Parts: sequence; structure tokens; C-alpha cells
Amino acid sequence: MSEVDYSVELSVVEGRPGLREIEDLITKPLESKPDKKFFIAISITLTMLMIGVIGLGLTVYYGIGMWGNNNPVGWGFGIVNFVFWVGIGHAGTLISAILFLLRQKWRNGIARFAEGMTIFAVMTAGIFPLIHVGRPWLAGYLFPYPNQHSIWVNFTSPLLWDVFAVSTYFTVSFVFWYVGLIPDFAALREKTSNKIKHIVYSIFSLGWRGSNKHWQNYEMVYLILAGFATPLVLSVHTIVSFDFAVSIIPGWHTTIFPPYFVAGAVFSGFAMVQNVLIFVRKIFNYEHIITIDTLEKMNKIILLTGTLVGYAYAMEFFIAWYSGVQAEQFTFINRAFGPYAWAYWIMISCNVISPQLFWFKKLRRSLVPMFIIAVFVNVGMWFERFVIVISSLSRDFLPSSWAYFTPTATDFAILIGSFGLFFTLVLLFTKALPVVSIAEIKAVVDGAQPTHKEH
Amino acid sequence: MDSNSNNKKFWKSISEYNNEPEILKNKRNEFSEGVTDDFEPSELSGMSRRKFIALMGAATAITATACSDYRDKGEIIPYNKRPEEILPGTANYYASTCTGCESLCGILVKTREGRPIKIDGNPDHPVNKGKICAKGQAEVTNLYDPTRIKEPLFNKRKVSWEQADNQLISEFKKATEDGVEIALISEHILSPTFNKLLAEFKSKYPTTKQYYYSATDNGNKLNAAFQSYGNYSIPTPRYDKAELVVALDDDFLGVDGNSIENTKNYSMKRDAINKVNFNRLYVIEGRMSLTGMMSDYRMRLRPEAQLEFVWTLINELKSNGSISFPAELASKVSNYTITKLVSTYKINEKKLRGLLSDLSKSKGKSIITAGKNLSESVHVSVNYLNELLNNTGNFDYNNFDLGASYASYKDFENLVSKMESGKVGVVLNLDINPLFNLPADLGFGKGYSKVKTTVAFTLENNETSEKSKYLLPINHFLESWGDYRNKTYVMSLQQPVINPLFNTRQKESIFLTWVSGEAKSYNVNSYHKYLLENFDTAIYNNSSKKTDNKSFWYGSLHDGIVELNTTTNSKGVFNTGSFGSLSNPAVKSNFSVYLTEGYFLGGGKFANNGWLQETPHPVTKITWDNYVSVSPSTAKQFGIEKDDLLEISVNNKKLKIAAVIQPGLADEVLHIEFGNGRKVVGDVGLETGVNAFELISKKNTESNFVLSGAEFSKTGETYKLASTQEHHSLDDTFVKDFHKVRKIIQEGTVNEYKKHPHFLHDEKHEVFSITDEHKYTEVKWAMAIDLNKCTSCGGCVTACNVENNIPVVGKDQVLLGREMQWMRIDRYYSGTPDEPETSNQPMLCQHCDNAPCENVCPVNATNHSPDGLNQMAYNRCVGTRYCSNNCPYKVRRFNFFNFRDHFADSYYENNLTPLGNNPEVTVRSRGVMEKCTFCIQKIMDARQVAIKEERPLNGNDVVTACQQACPAEAIVFGDSNDPESKISKYRKHNLAYHVLETLNVKPNVTYIAKLRNTHSEEV
Repeated sequence: MSEVDYSVELSVVEGRPGLREIEDLITKPLESKPDKKFFIAISITLTMLMIGVIGLGLTVYYGIGMWGNNNPVGWGFGIVNFVFWVGIGHAGTLISAILFLLRQKWRNGIARFAEGMTIFAVMTAGIFPLIHVGRPWLAGYLFPYPNQHSIWVNFTSPLLWDVFAVSTYFTVSFVFWYVGLIPDFAALREKTSNKIKHIVYSIFSLGWRGSNKHWQNYEMVYLILAGFATPLVLSVHTIVSFDFAVSIIPGWHTTIFPPYFVAGAVFSGFAMVQNVLIFVRKIFNYEHIITIDTLEKMNKIILLTGTLVGYAYAMEFFIAWYSGVQAEQFTFINRAFGPYAWAYWIMISCNVISPQLFWFKKLRRSLVPMFIIAVFVNVGMWFERFVIVISSLSRDFLPSSWAYFTPTATDFAILIGSFGLFFTLVLLFTKALPVVSIAEIKAVVDGAQPTHKEH
Repeated sequence: MDSNSNNKKFWKSISEYNNEPEILKNKRNEFSEGVTDDFEPSELSGMSRRKFIALMGAATAITATACSDYRDKGEIIPYNKRPEEILPGTANYYASTCTGCESLCGILVKTREGRPIKIDGNPDHPVNKGKICAKGQAEVTNLYDPTRIKEPLFNKRKVSWEQADNQLISEFKKATEDGVEIALISEHILSPTFNKLLAEFKSKYPTTKQYYYSATDNGNKLNAAFQSYGNYSIPTPRYDKAELVVALDDDFLGVDGNSIENTKNYSMKRDAINKVNFNRLYVIEGRMSLTGMMSDYRMRLRPEAQLEFVWTLINELKSNGSISFPAELASKVSNYTITKLVSTYKINEKKLRGLLSDLSKSKGKSIITAGKNLSESVHVSVNYLNELLNNTGNFDYNNFDLGASYASYKDFENLVSKMESGKVGVVLNLDINPLFNLPADLGFGKGYSKVKTTVAFTLENNETSEKSKYLLPINHFLESWGDYRNKTYVMSLQQPVINPLFNTRQKESIFLTWVSGEAKSYNVNSYHKYLLENFDTAIYNNSSKKTDNKSFWYGSLHDGIVELNTTTNSKGVFNTGSFGSLSNPAVKSNFSVYLTEGYFLGGGKFANNGWLQETPHPVTKITWDNYVSVSPSTAKQFGIEKDDLLEISVNNKKLKIAAVIQPGLADEVLHIEFGNGRKVVGDVGLETGVNAFELISKKNTESNFVLSGAEFSKTGETYKLASTQEHHSLDDTFVKDFHKVRKIIQEGTVNEYKKHPHFLHDEKHEVFSITDEHKYTEVKWAMAIDLNKCTSCGGCVTACNVENNIPVVGKDQVLLGREMQWMRIDRYYSGTPDEPETSNQPMLCQHCDNAPCENVCPVNATNHSPDGLNQMAYNRCVGTRYCSNNCPYKVRRFNFFNFRDHFADSYYENNLTPLGNNPEVTVRSRGVMEKCTFCIQKIMDARQVAIKEERPLNGNDVVTACQQACPAEAIVFGDSNDPESKISKYRKHNLAYHVLETLNVKPNVTYIAKLRNTHSEEV
């Protein structure tokens, strides 16, 4: 692609494909039997998942002692992974809701997939608060339910806010996703010749007939839900950041955490969506639907949020110095030069330095570099949580209790398993539902919405 | 059934059968007159028969439902008849004597439902006054040790006591007839009755020869006492009397002598609260000891140079005219001057001159002591120096004369040659372990195997019992009778508090059987009777006899002690000749190995005790292992890092041992503590450290524990040591002096404090709360810890472990930082690596008013009580560990595993160990957070008593386990709302501060800042 003319609005879908053509293309994976590549892919992800299940089994059977957690470092990989996956889950709703409200048409090609990833990421994330507790079989205590002991949950605890924030976010995202799927279910219902599929699609399409009234109602619901989901995008990671910000541990007790966490979440979420989409558009021949232009726009957001995150890192240092609190100052010096300096510098190079490469248009628009940079971003964002959680805890107020955290094989097994679960769900999603919104993409094909210009 | 049977005619008597008229009349009127006259059913009960049946049915159904959930938890046998003294749920205390070491502390054993569960000090005992050390506290585990020998063994096979006794008696007889020796090896016997019994044994079997041996002996000190004063009685320094204490490698607050007595006395001179009456402590040592950490001035000196050091002091004091020194001896010491000492050993001259001027100024008010590991010459010289300075008034000369010293290596060599030539028929090992402790080149093991009859009296299998023909399992002291005396003015009594758990006998009664020459004469009570008889003749008959002998005995048994009126001062006249005959100190160069007793394992005796193995070393905080300490400059010079495995060779013996870089250690000293490295031991003690006794050779002349001419090399391997506190390099400016910068430790000097009592709080400003704070209207619990008194001995840690059922987690978990102790003693260094200044701080849950742990718990499992306690509801805890993360003091402990069955060798998975648990404290499951409760079970107990007695709860009624154990009385606990209480006084004191005050979490544990008694105001 040569020069882009910014004076005209770019077509979201390239090449003016016919509406029928789009429908066929998008529903093709659902109509055809899984091929060999699919089985190879899913066997890999299932193996990863199994590794995680074994790690989880050991944890539940023997106890948290199977992990590397120790006395000052009460939270280890469990919470790191939780925050990481919740962060990944941010891009979807941001793309589908906030960009929808901002009338960003380019989102239509990627919204469905991103939203699916949100749901799977939140599902993956949701496992961690449960399994990281010492007695998961009593996790019900975290919910406010009336009981004979008249014991209520503690509403001052950020962990409890987490329970509500994450479950609300999941519910709303799920409903939003489903509502968006209704017209597509109807389209699938019409298209399929399989009886069972027909019944299933009929149920899920809720009697959609594509009437004008339906469309009107649908647009209204979608708009309301988008409005509803928008604050949640910001609130969920804000509240996750409260887990740290509300505590008194140096390195955690920071007011910058809510915006910093949200920026970080969007950053990592976009990187993950971009990574997966690069494969999806190739495998399913969606190159003209999920275009390089779309990916470039995503890369620009990665550049923006990456810079925000870099600013937050710098500001944390500045405030630590400015506060004059010795413990605070030490925590940050210790991050950069202490025993976990290696993790800190991985984080800085992946999160702050690597996205800066997106200033180069060439890199923004070529697949291999952008893929690599986004992988770095994900690695970096995982390490950011590692640095925050572990390096702060391992050296807090009393030097006498400082200790180094070393993860165990079980820790890694569960981390691998979480990726296994996420990608298994993603793979199943590609075979079960249209990964691009048929209705929405039809709406943005050139010529789908005639204007006076074309006549 | 045919109808006939229904019409069968029944009759009740012959008269009825005969149809007598009287009977017929009565029959018609079934209820005879008078019975039914007043019978009015409506008045009897309003309940109808139907209703009754219905109710009964309902009651049955309800009962059945209520019982259906009953889970059979095994056999529970209730008391059919309540045993005397035992009230279920109420603890009984019995006075007894701890014979874990030679200090013979009086103890009170707490028993619940007949099981001893905790050992406290006996407050009536004049020596230890209600205090007891970590080892004594942990003795409960030894009692319930599942690896105890349960039956007598002969050639490793079970044998009955009768058979063993018969065989042994005939062996004794045979030995007597053949005129071969019966060697009896034991520690000093401090029981008068047992000594009498042994005398009887000796007269019955006259070839018996007694050898005194102890792995941790103070033989040099004892021999020096004999040289100087002509008796085997070591005077006890009275640290409460002296203004100046100079300790030469003497860890008197740690393991040298009776540390409980010493600590108690010493702490009286560290009273910052009432009168600031500080003594000044100089410690001159080669290692870094607990006492060294407490010192006001500390000088590093290799142990071989101590003689020269003392002579220099004598010479310099003579020169400045402080002491009158016999002219004929003057030439002996005249070569030894400060200049020479300073140039040879790089001692800080300023400190040394300060010491000299202090010594000259406090004549008669000082104490100079030397450690038991130093040579006899040092001890004689120190005795002499004390005489010269008129310090003898600061010593207590009431220690019992032991009558004999320990057997020397020469004696053992003779014994071995006799054993090899068959001149020894029987060897009796009385609860000691010479095969582990004696130098290998004595050949004791080889000789031992040649003796026909070898007998080991032991609680559990050890290196010696393994090689013995007979293994006689003995009672734990909690199962035994006894009388003990190591001070002339007191006799301590020992009584069993539980029946022997196994088929064991107490060693005295075994001898009693042998003396009688009749195996059948044994009776469970035989030694008890023997003891009583001896008590009557030796004690009762000599007492003032106000009561009959039985009442006197029971009274004494109740008290645990008999105070005797024989306070004769046994101090002899100093024999100047003993000093005159000393040979001159030789200058030693190159490395030397310095061996000292481990703080918690004794000479290896306590190796199978998990609690003691896991109590962090007072200085290095290392658990489960011993190691070689090297000085920071040595480490730098040879590139040694922590955990490097070094090979030490001395006396042609080699030992591989992991290294620790110890700040403050003298250069060219390789300090190793012994007690670890047992090979034949229960599961707990296996593979814990190395046996440092292996380095000792019979050729050691001056001291068995100072081995000159050592070499070492790096093996290139490493060995992980499990420390509970990360080792921060002192010269790392990155983390230097954090404890002071962050106001974790606040310190001053005595002079500074006297001049400016408020110095600690100059920068303090009031913090106002924007919300209404919770009001505590009644009792509010608080604790204060006086850092001037705390010696970091670890007694509180063990007491807490025992009281609160704290699990032992094993080395692997300590390595991961998952130790469970609720209380820890933090150690911080400041200054330079070579001359560090040490600060210790017991750290436990601070029970903050604004507890940061409480508001982050999502399920309210940790919350605040109305009396100011930060509580844990274990049942509610789901284990998020958020509370622990948010605790600035990191005092919360998480059960990462079910430590009751995780510990590598399933330490707790037996029927025996749980018997030692405190039934008042929940045994926590895995996944639950726990922490110090301020001994809430004791608070509740006191509250219950107060309610019963209808009076308000008094804060002084509650004594926490750590407070009870602290020999220095550094811990104060009570009601801070009571303005009259001790705790209120402590909290308001000028020296009181809270750790991390700036966080405004408002802790309820107050620390009293440590004052150092230095010359200037600067530290």
C-alpha cells in the first residue's frame, strides 16, 4: 500500500464485496467441518489446559504451598495472572462499546472477536481469585448472603469490590455480546440446512425477522448497553487497581493506580486482540474485512496507551521522590536496581520502548513487526503486574522479613493452563459463532449506505 | 390356634384354684379398698394417652434426628469415676525439676486431663524464679517423641526388664568376681539420693569406676576453680551487683552457665523504667555471641589471645597502680602491654583504654568472667584478676562442690586401653552419647565394641545406644521421681506428672534393682520409697521439724523445693601459686577453629526436637543446621559467600560445612557450633548440619574447643542454609541502617537520656483523626517490650510455640520463608561489618487500633474486639492472604500446607505428638491465616475467673506465654486503660515508641528504646 489520502474516509471493508459474499465468507467456518489445522491447534491448547488442570489439582489437593508464595509475598502468580487476564479483557468492551459510541466504523470488523476475547479473558481471570485463596471450597463467604451467624462480608475490602466489579463486568459484556449476535443468529438460521442447527439458531435468534421495528429496538438496546458498558470498562480495572492502591504497602499505595491500570489494560488488551486477529484474518481470508488500516488504527492505540503507561511509570518515580517518604523511595529504587531489577527492565523495554516503534508507519502497517511488538507488549504487561505485586511485597517496611519469591513448576503450569483455557475458548469460538459481525460489516461495506455522493 | 387355648383357666394360687370365697370376693373387687378411693383421673394430668404417645413419638423422632449427625471420632472413654485432682477443662500444675541441663531449674508443669502440656518456671524456686529457657519449654516434645524407645532391647531385640536385669546382675557379679572394671559414664550426678544409691551400687560391685563426661562441659572452668580455690565449685557471678562486667568470650546470657539466673540478674542492672542504673558490659570475643550483641563495648579477639589479654589487663592495672601485685610475679606479665596487644590483634585502642580506666575506677564493683571454652590458664588468670580487683564479693559461692572434675582424655585413653585388653567387663552409659561426642582418635568406639556388656540408658536411639548390647529405655523427667541440688541452699524435688508412656523405667530404679541383686525386686514405687527414706533421714531429720514427716514431704513436693539453711560460703583462699605456674601465652597465627555449644541443641541431646531445631539462632537466625562463621574480611579475602561449602581441616581431620559471613567475628576464626549432625537419631534430627565434634582431637591440650592451626578450602559446592531473616550485607549502602532510618529501632545512650530524657520524641507531632475513633471503655490490652532487657534468647518464641500449638514446618519450608512462629526476634546490624552494633527486637502482632489487616479482609475473618485485640476467626478465614500483605510488620502466618501432615517425615502423623497440644487453642488447618492472639485463651480464662468471683477483670491477672517465659522480664502485658497498671507506665514512658509510628496504625505493642551505656553521648 502506498500513500494514503487522509482527506477521504477510508473504506472499512476493502474491495466492495457483495453482501451475499460477506455472509458466505463469515459463515463458512461454521458450515464446514474442522480441518486438520484446527485439530492441531486445539490439541496444543488443550494440552496447555491439561497442564494447568494438573497444576490446579495439585494446588487444591496440597495447598497454596505448591506455589512460590511465602511470608512477605502473600500474592504471587495467582494475582499477577488475574490482573493480567482482566487487563486482556479490556480491549473487547472498549472496542465494541466506547468506539461504537464514538462512531468509529472501523471497529465493526473486529468488535465481535474482541468482545469474545473479553469474555474468555474475564472467564480465565475469574478462575484466579477463586483458586488463589487458601480454602477455595469456602469462597462462597465472599458473597453477601444471609446466614445464621449474621456474618456479613466486609464492604471495606477491595477484594470484595473486585468480586462485584468483575462479575458485573462479565455479565454486562456477555449480554452486550449476545445482543449483538441476535441478527447474526437469525442470518445463520436462514442459511443453515442442518435441522439441529436450525433449532439452536432459532432459539438464540429470539424470533428475529429483520423487520424495521426489530432493527429499531435492536439499535436502541445496543446503544443503551454500549452506554452501560462504557463506564464499566473504566471501573473494572480501577477497582482491580484498588486491591493495591487501598493497601498501605509502599509501591501499592499510589493514587495514580486507577488511570494507570486502565491505560495498561487497554494497552495489553489491544495487543492481544491484534495478535489473534492477525491469525484470524489470514486463516479465514478476512484480509479485506479486517484490513491493514484497521490494524494500524489499533497499533496507534497501542502506541498511545503505551506512552500513557510509560508516563505513569515515570510519575510513580517522581512522586516517590517528591513524597520524601523513605520507604516509598526505596521501593522504587529497589524495583529498578534491587533483586527484581531484571523483571523491571523487561517491563520497561517491552512496555515503554517497544511500542514507540509504532511511530514508524512502516512498522505500524507490516504484519510481522507489529505482531512481534504486540507480543512484547503482552509479555511486558504480564511483567508489570509481576513487578507491582511481587517486588513491592518482597521488600516492604521491615527489612527483617524481606524475602525473595521464586515461582514453582506449579505456578508455571497454572500460567500455561490459563493460556490454554483462553485459546481453547477462542478456537471453539471460531468454529461456533461468526467471528465477525455479519450485520455490522454489511452496514459498512462501501455502498451499503447510499449517500448523495454516489449518485 | 384352637379356641381351647383361649379358654384356658389360669390360677394364681392353690386357694384360687380351690375357689375359696375370700379370694373370689377379692377378685371381683380387683382394686382393693383404699387404693382407688382418691383416684380421680381428671386431676392427675391433663394429658391424654394419645397426646402422650404422640409426644413420645415426637421426642423419639427428634432425638433420633439429633443423633443422626453424630460422627464417630474414635474411642472416647469418659471418666466413670472422676479421678482425684482432675477436673476436665481445668489445668493442674505440679512443681518439679527440669533436668534438661545442669542448671536444674524449678518448674511448674501444666497438665490437662493428666497430660503435661507446658512447662513453666517455678516462681518459688530461688534460682530461676519462675523462668525457664527454650530447651526446658520444648522438653514436652521430648516426652511425646514418637521415636522414643518403648521396650528394653538386648542385641536390638525386645527383652523383658526382668530378663535384662537378671542378665546384667549376673554380669556385674561376674565382673566383680573376675576383678574387671564396671565403667559408669555419666554427667555429674546432682541428685543426692541417686549419689547415695550409686555409692551402694559401688559397694556391692566394688570394681565400679565412675567417669564424669559431658559434651558441653565446663571442665576448664571447674579445674581452674580447683587450682585457684581447691574445690570443684564454680562461683556464680552476681550480675545484679556489679557495675562493670567484662566477659571474655563468656556467653553468660546464652549458653555459658545458668543463663536464666544470669539473665535475671543482669537485667536488674538494665532498668531504664524506674532508676537508670545501668551496668556497663564489655565483651571481648572471637565469635559473635548473644552476650556480644548485648554489649556496650565489644572487641574482637581470637580465643587463643584471651590469656594475653588478661595478662595485659593485669600488667596495665599494675602499672597504673590500681592493683597491688606481688613483685615476684611482676616479671611474668610485664611484657604484655596495650601497645603490643593492639598491634598484634588490631584491637580498638580507645575501647581498650576505656576498659582499663573503667576497671581501675570500679574496683570491687566489677566482674570479669571467661567463657567455658577458654583454656584453664585463662580461667585461673581471671580468678586472680577478680581477686586483685577485690571483686570476690560480686560472686555467689554457694554452688555445690561437685567433688571431682570431668574425666580427661587421658582418663578415657586409659579406659579405652582397658576395654581393648578385656579389663572392662561392663560399660554403663547413663543418658549420654560418648560415641557421638568423644574425639574419634580416642578409639572409644573400637574399644566399646570389644566390651562384652555395654549398656545404654537412653530415651531414644543414639550413636552410643546403637552400638550397645543393652538398650534400657528410661523415663523422661516428667515421668520420674528425683531430688536435685546444685546450690547448697536449695534442694529441688522432681515428681512424675504422667505415668510412663511406654515400658520404661527411671534410671535410678534400675540401679535400685541391681543393688538389690534381685530382678524381681523392682516395683514402680521402689525408687519413690527409697527417695522418701533418704529425704527423711537427710532432709527432714535435719530440718527444724515443725510438722510430721509426711506433711513436710507433701509440703515440699507441692513447693517443688526445700530451702536449706546451709548457706556456708565455700569460697576458698586464692592460691597464688596457681597463677604463678601458668606457662606464657603463645602467639598464634593462621586460622583456628572455635567450637561453642549450640544455643538450642545442647551437645546433640535435643537434635530430635523440632521446636528447638526450628527456633532461629539468636544471632544468625539460621534454623535446622550448623555452619562455619567467617569474618567479613576473611570472606572478602578468600571470596567466600554465604552457603559456600568449605572443607575445614584441623588435627588431620576434615569436615565439610557451609559458610556464613558473620559481622563482628574475629578475623582468622572459624566459628562452628556443635550439637548438630547426629547420625543415629529420629526423623526430625536426621540430616541437620554436621558433627563438629569430629574436629576435636585427643591431642588438644589447652582447650578442647579452640583448635589452632586450621586450614580451609572452598569445595566449589554450596549448601543451602535456612535462615528466617534475609542476610543483608552491611556495607551495601543500598539498604544500610534501614532499621534506624525507618524508626523501627530507636536507640540512645544512657548519658544522652539522662541529659535529655525526651530525646526520642523531639520530632514527634500529634496526628489528628478526621473520624471519630473507637472508644475502649473497659479493659484494653497492650504489651510493652523493654529492649534494654531483651537478650534475644528465644525463650519467648518457644513458649509461644508450645502454648499456641504452632507447627514445626521443616527446613524446606523455612527455606521458602514459611516458618509459622508467631513471634520472632528481628536482628539488625549497623556500624561496620567488622565492628557491628546489633539491635534486637521481638516482633509479634502489634494489635493495632487502626489495623490495616482488618479493613482488607473481604470476609471479616480478622476483626477487632472490644478490648482492643486484633482477632482471627479461623473458621471464617478463606485464606486470601490480603491481611498478611497489608501488615506492615509482617507478623501474620499462613498455613501454606496442612503442616500437621506435610512436614517431610509426617512429624505429627502419630498418636503421640498431638498429646502435647494445648486443648485451649485451635489446631489450624491449611489455607488459614494465623498470628499472635495475645494468648486470648489466657485472657478468657482470667475473665471467667473474674466473672465467677463477681469482680472486674484486672489486667494483671493475665500473663501471656512469652511474658511468662522471658527471663529478663522484658515483656509487660496488661490493661492500658488502667492508669495504675505497669503497662500504662511503660506506654507513657519517655523511652516508649511504636515501630513505624508514621503509619498511624496505632500499635498496642510499645517498645522501650534501648540505651547503650557508653562513655559519651554518642553510640
